Amino acid sequence: MEDRGDSVGEEAVIRKVFRTISHPGDSRQLAKDVVRFLSQSLDDPDTLSDLDIILTEACANVCRHAYEGAPGDLEVRLRLEFGQWVELEIVDWGKGFGPEVRFENPGPESEGGRGLYIMCMLANSCQVRHQDGENVVFIHKDIGQSRWKS
Amino acid sequence: MEKLTLTRTNSTILLKYAGEITLEITGDLKRRLDAELTDGDVHAVVIDLSEVPFMDSSGIGFLVSINTRMRSSGRSFFLCRLSRAVEKTLGLVQLLGFFQILTDEKALAAVCGQA
Repeated sequence: MEDRGDSVGEEAVIRKVFRTISHPGDSRQLAKDVVRFLSQSLDDPDTLSDLDIILTEACANVCRHAYEGAPGDLEVRLRLEFGQWVELEIVDWGKGFGPEVRFENPGPESEGGRGLYIMCMLANSCQVRHQDGENVVFIHKDIGQSRWKS
Repeated sequence: MEKLTLTRTNSTILLKYAGEITLEITGDLKRRLDAELTDGDVHAVVIDLSEVPFMDSSGIGFLVSINTRMRSSGRSFFLCRLSRAVEKTLGLVQLLGFFQILTDEKALAAVCGQA
């Protein structure tokens, strides 16, 4: 763990950063690693499966688009407040989303373009940001108290 | 791809893949199935999803592409034995009603021509 609970009023916030290279197998493994870490705090298989899907979709987007299919840096920044919520930032330093970000569900015959829609469906908030040279997909998911380990 | 099983019965191909269907594998699956479909005698494709513990949106794209290819040429495409994970992913994007799903073993046997 890189640091934890450092700022006033955020004593309960746990942070961890995961890094890999945006290759399909490695990206899926990164999602699994984050979920395995989260399973130390979360008890609920459905919630863990939601987070697994969100992370896999976000990391797959980086693999496919960020570096034009070439390998590049991929980072997941995790923050969680035990008993409350999980936040994820999926970060790359590639070409970015461009103007046509699609959060809607495409038509049934579309072969692609469902990743962000799926992330939105499984989170309370899903944002795409470009800041300080970083492309960031931000996810906030509220998780009811009964779904955390006691 | 030792986890891939392709079974040909008369004019039907049953594809079963045991493992996660993600970006890592969808290209290979598509190539393997495309190779089978160059034989014009294939009238139906069935995908058995019982041993798929995880599927992402590229897996959905794979299923949609085969569906389009088969049905635009007047042939049939079916899914069967959906795992819980597959049902969740397809449900999220509202595609459970889009695909033709064989809901029981009898329906599957009728399509595959088995007893």
